[in-house]
Amino acid sequence: MKKISPVVRGWLSFAIGFIVAYILGIGLVYLVNGSLAYSHLVSWIFATFAGAAAYSWGASGFSPLTKGLAWMNLGALVGFALGLVIDLIVQGSLNWVAPTASLFALLFGFTAFFLGVAGFNAVSKGLIWQISGTLLGAIFISIIRVVMGLEWSGPFLFTEPAWVLGGFLGVIFFLSGNGSVSDWFKWAKGIDTPEHHEESHAGWEKYLNISLDHKVIGIQYTVTALFLISVGGLFALVFRTELAASQLQFLTTDMKLFGQNGPQLYNTFMSLHGMIMIVSILLGMAGITNFVVPLLLGAQDMAFPRLNAFAFWISVPASVLLLMSLILGGFDTGWTGYPPLSVRAPMGIQMFFLGVFTAGWSSILGALNVIVTVMRMRSKGMTAFRMPIFVWAAIATSIIALTATQFIGLSFQLVMFQRLLGMGFFDPAKGGNPVLFQHLFWFYSHPAVYVFILPGLGVISELLPVFARKPLFGYRWIAMSSLAIALVGFLVWAHHMFTSGMNEYLRVPFMYSTLLVAIPTGVKFFSWVATLWKGKIWAPTPMLFVLGGIVVFLLGGLTGPPNATVSIDLHLHDTYFIVGHFHDTIFGGFVFPFFAALYYWFPKATGRRMNETLGKIHFWLMTPSFFILTFGMMRIGLLGMRRRIVDYDPALNFDATHLLLTVMGYLIAISVLVFIYNFFNSIKNGEKAEGNVWNSRSPEWQVPSPMPTHNYDQPFEVVGEPYDYGLPGSKYVEFSAPAKSRH
Amino acid sequence: MSHLLDKSSAFRQGVVIFVYLAVLTALEYFVAVTFKAISILVVVAILKAALVMYYYMHIYKLNEEGGSDAHSYAYKTGTNRLGLWLFLLSDSFVFAGLMTARINLLGLTRPHLNQTLGLAVTAVLLISSFFMNRGETAMAHGDKKGFMTNTLVTFLLGLGFLLGVVAVEWPLAAEEGLTASSNAVGAVFYMMTGMHAFHVFTGLIFLIVVWNNARKNIYSSEQNWGVEAAAVYWHFVDLVWIFFYPALYLIGTAL
Repeated sequence: MKKISPVVRGWLSFAIGFIVAYILGIGLVYLVNGSLAYSHLVSWIFATFAGAAAYSWGASGFSPLTKGLAWMNLGALVGFALGLVIDLIVQGSLNWVAPTASLFALLFGFTAFFLGVAGFNAVSKGLIWQISGTLLGAIFISIIRVVMGLEWSGPFLFTEPAWVLGGFLGVIFFLSGNGSVSDWFKWAKGIDTPEHHEESHAGWEKYLNISLDHKVIGIQYTVTALFLISVGGLFALVFRTELAASQLQFLTTDMKLFGQNGPQLYNTFMSLHGMIMIVSILLGMAGITNFVVPLLLGAQDMAFPRLNAFAFWISVPASVLLLMSLILGGFDTGWTGYPPLSVRAPMGIQMFFLGVFTAGWSSILGALNVIVTVMRMRSKGMTAFRMPIFVWAAIATSIIALTATQFIGLSFQLVMFQRLLGMGFFDPAKGGNPVLFQHLFWFYSHPAVYVFILPGLGVISELLPVFARKPLFGYRWIAMSSLAIALVGFLVWAHHMFTSGMNEYLRVPFMYSTLLVAIPTGVKFFSWVATLWKGKIWAPTPMLFVLGGIVVFLLGGLTGPPNATVSIDLHLHDTYFIVGHFHDTIFGGFVFPFFAALYYWFPKATGRRMNETLGKIHFWLMTPSFFILTFGMMRIGLLGMRRRIVDYDPALNFDATHLLLTVMGYLIAISVLVFIYNFFNSIKNGEKAEGNVWNSRSPEWQVPSPMPTHNYDQPFEVVGEPYDYGLPGSKYVEFSAPAKSRH
Repeated sequence: MSHLLDKSSAFRQGVVIFVYLAVLTALEYFVAVTFKAISILVVVAILKAALVMYYYMHIYKLNEEGGSDAHSYAYKTGTNRLGLWLFLLSDSFVFAGLMTARINLLGLTRPHLNQTLGLAVTAVLLISSFFMNRGETAMAHGDKKGFMTNTLVTFLLGLGFLLGVVAVEWPLAAEEGLTASSNAVGAVFYMMTGMHAFHVFTGLIFLIVVWNNARKNIYSSEQNWGVEAAAVYWHFVDLVWIFFYPALYLIGTAL
């Protein structure tokens, strides 16, 4: 008998697992409930996860992934049942959509997945501790409330203050439980630790455990970012589907999930899509920066390896908190969380605030590390203007992330305290000022978009000369333009507030400062075009994404100045035009360069290449779909489509465009699926690539791939300009002894 | 180590700077209760901050490369110092944000508080900074005992400040009707003092840690980064208060 291919076996098992679980789910609901209400939702979720586990079993037998998925199913079921029982005891009636059950299913499912994959590791330990910490904090406050004679239980089992302290303690417990702070505790007790730890685990398991190696941490960041991008993208698909036609389709007022009805759920998905994507961008770029910057500098590691690990690990409980906000009531403010709406919003917003605050620390500490690394750990001869251009971008980004991030943390904290203690910062009845929040918030959140795009633009400038085989045009100008964008970025925040009722005399200065950003950005475009001019361009997948990023970012850039102009912004504010513009800038500035960077440095990390054909499919599927998506958004936005709303008037005639946008959204999702398959498949089965795959001058490509544990065996000295491609005899780095090259 | 003075002149410098700071603080108080010139208060605060940053926090040490050997203690201390200062820069944005909130919500008014009590806690914190400087100087000259004594005094004074704010000032303000939830003024007052008190609290923990480590003979005159970091952090907490004190107690008319 011929061997059946693993994929076929996988899908067969998937089908069987899915159908069995689906029937079981319906039967279970019917048995307990006596009716089929909600049976489809429960069974669908149940069946999908069971199907995934079955697929993995069929394709690879009892591999760690299969075990993880199976454990995840069990954990989620156990959590769900436990939550139902607790809810039944507290509320006195059986509620299939009790938020407690969903929350426990989520937390237990996650934890069980990582337990199943590799037993006790930093993730599963951390999650177990986080759950314990959350419950402990919540129970602690509840006991105090009982003692004080206050109501202790709420619709989400505990009251809001209890969940807030619980969420906060959960983060602390996660970090102390999984060991990411244990070295610091040793130092505080006066015990010295070795400078470089040996990896506690070998192979892929080191990615699930605490590692101080910047390359491992970079990959941990990247994979977490890919996970969050998938979650955020899934949310987008949910509300994009709802918007495909006017009127409410499936997010109707009589459906109920996580204690929210359809439109409320839409608001939550819309808001969380924003913030989860933002966090995934921060983590994604932190991943690239972490992996690449020490290699480009010739450093052994980042300046503070423990801080580096800490900055990554704090983002994990932060992501869990963000997901918890979905279940604990959700919130309807959009990612901006403006008061007074955020003061009245459901409790989910508190988890959201906590999650963002925690993720902010990841960003701040990561940025601190990057700046110190660049200033103190460059190899010999690497003067400021001989640094690779990506390093300049990383520095500019880090300056913003280090300082401005505190403002979003503070503004969210203030709203948190206003909700918890009735402090009247933003309550006009108490003499507070809601516009103050917007100032504090945008002082970070505008520069934040430069945090998203500057590393991406750095990737473009870094890769372009490699694939055009020409020196980077105007190196110093590009380096300075990154800094200029970062610094001017601090002076433009109020352009988000032209309609907010702030003092009118502020409008014009902020309009001009905003328009000023176009100048350093223009410098970059000029340099890119000049670099391409008469180059020997070759276009493997990374270069395709670089070129795509340039074009898409150009669209984002050109649609920016109209928004910055006060007179036009008063018309465009809060329309789909803004949504289209924003997605153009972020896809051009982050998504395309991020993919380019992943395709480009993948061989450095794994010693294998990603599949070119799949890469090209990814590109050619994503790019046109994305153009249609944002052009459509901008068109209906100009015609008056409001952003963030669950429904629109059929008389506006937007149905056809919205349907098109939804289809394009799905096409982008499919292309990303292709990428994710390619990414994970190539780790194991990709074509071997151990040498200088892209024929680059950069030092990291002069040594074999994957990168040795402590990076360079011989230190190198910088002896020339970094981007003198095509100039005969020019040299960028010189290794002190001949580097071992297997090329 | 070009900036390292001999022990007695280093101590003397600490005293002189402390006298300057004390005189400026008194001047500040005098200006505030007599002719209310905000510009003078701002200038005095900046002057005090500059003195603390240069003579107590030794910001010029950021220029010290620490030699060329990347594995030496001196070089690593240089790296750590840069990291600490960047952290403080980041942290100061939290306080800058709170200050923005205060200016936006209160403008030229200030909460109705006991100005004498404000001066008293400020004095306590300032004196603690002086002893911190003595402790650090002592350790830089290998005087472990001097360090232990001075740090203990710093700790006690810091604790006094913390209790003065949280256990005396807060209940006093609440008694006069200024609670966290009463109005925006109360919100700003409790948030600013609370955030600062939280930093004082972490600074106290930091002091315990280095005191205990010094007891175990971990630091020497050459290798005492932990002590330096704790001292710089402690002075930073003082630095923040240099701006918060006039903002809450001196500037504008009392409500």
